[in-house]
Amino acid sequence: MAQRDAERFERIVLPHLDDAYTLARYLLRDEHDAQDVVQDAVLRALRYFDGYRDGDARAWLLAIVRNCCLTWQRRHRGDRLTVPFADEVAERISDPREADALAIQRSDRAMLERAVAALPTEFREVIVLREVEGLSYKEISDVVGAPMGTVMSRLARARKRLASVLGIDAREAS
Amino acid sequence: MRCGDCRDTITAYVDGELLGEERRDVDEHLASCAECRFEYDIVAATSRTLKEGLVRHAAPDVLKARIRSALAQPGAFEPPVVLPRRSWPRLAVAGFLIAAASSALTFSAMRPGSARREATNDILASHIRSLMPGHLVDVASTDQHNVKPWFNGRIDVSPEVPRLDSLGFPLVGGRVDYVGGRPVPAVVYGRRQHMINVFSWPTTDASALAPSVSTENGYHLVHWRNGGMELWAVSDLNVAELRQFIDAFSRSEAAPAR
Repeated sequence: MAQRDAERFERIVLPHLDDAYTLARYLLRDEHDAQDVVQDAVLRALRYFDGYRDGDARAWLLAIVRNCCLTWQRRHRGDRLTVPFADEVAERISDPREADALAIQRSDRAMLERAVAALPTEFREVIVLREVEGLSYKEISDVVGAPMGTVMSRLARARKRLASVLGIDAREAS
Repeated sequence: MRCGDCRDTITAYVDGELLGEERRDVDEHLASCAECRFEYDIVAATSRTLKEGLVRHAAPDVLKARIRSALAQPGAFEPPVVLPRRSWPRLAVAGFLIAAASSALTFSAMRPGSARREATNDILASHIRSLMPGHLVDVASTDQHNVKPWFNGRIDVSPEVPRLDSLGFPLVGGRVDYVGGRPVPAVVYGRRQHMINVFSWPTTDASALAPSVSTENGYHLVHWRNGGMELWAVSDLNVAELRQFIDAFSRSEAAPAR
């Protein structure tokens, strides 16, 4: 690969590393596995980069990351019995006045993370791509390789399930 | 529009995926049907809860370092190799790469060059070091009235510590670091998972300098001069948001004493 291509790759693909890592974190539910798989996915992306023309580089990279995650899961199915969860809330706030609010926020967030982690992969991926990464239905459809109608119905079912697990009702809605 | 059709499209409606006539049909139906409105409220609240509550992870620096180093390999685009399971030797290799990268920084800092070059290297190295566990701040506080006085007696510079949390840049804390062989204050702000380090020290150069951005190893560095102070900000935050931050920071810097 020419130096020019390497630079183009860095410019076009690498800015989406956070999105790639976020998707892998949610799909694999483990930060170390996510790092390994994202690294692998980026190197694959580099090898396929000749085949990438113009278009949505983020969706293109996320599709590769998703495939690598699914392959990884198939290969390591049953490896892990317990599922670790993210605990990403900033730990640095030391003001006791903020501690209560932080504790509440943390338990809400932990419940949310658990509810999402418990979704089947095909629901979890559309929720992450839509709510965390902000992709359009068209982009999600490109990433997961399913028609837009399927994306929509999976999103609807995933949200319905989460609403019931999280006890979201119209009181909060108003 | 019938309720059944409306329910089928509510998800797309909430996501802003309906356009023109389809959207108007749902608008009209919701205005007249309390039951569908109830359904809509639940879907919208669920979506909002997820958007606000789910963490968007930042790729860790160790992953970035691994990828950059892998990309630099001549065989980076040869056929795939199967990754072995994560193991201690691989972590050790990652650690070595970080060490190599930081000693490369040190090495380039020792080459003859302008003071600006030296400052850039020190600031970048300081920023990367600050991201390692336990190195970010010596005083952790979201209150500028704790952070600012903390520097008194530790250092002869009293840095600006404006309050920017209403603009989405909460204060994280401060520490003393070394740039160009002298101790300087570093004030740390956060933006989602990103950290912004702001360094400042007095200068005899009285002229003002507008902020200029440069990029090194994937980090953005902004340098500006104002009121007899040299100021540097460094972060892996995207340039647009970093500019927003600098704008807000220098505006309050120029504002009268709080």
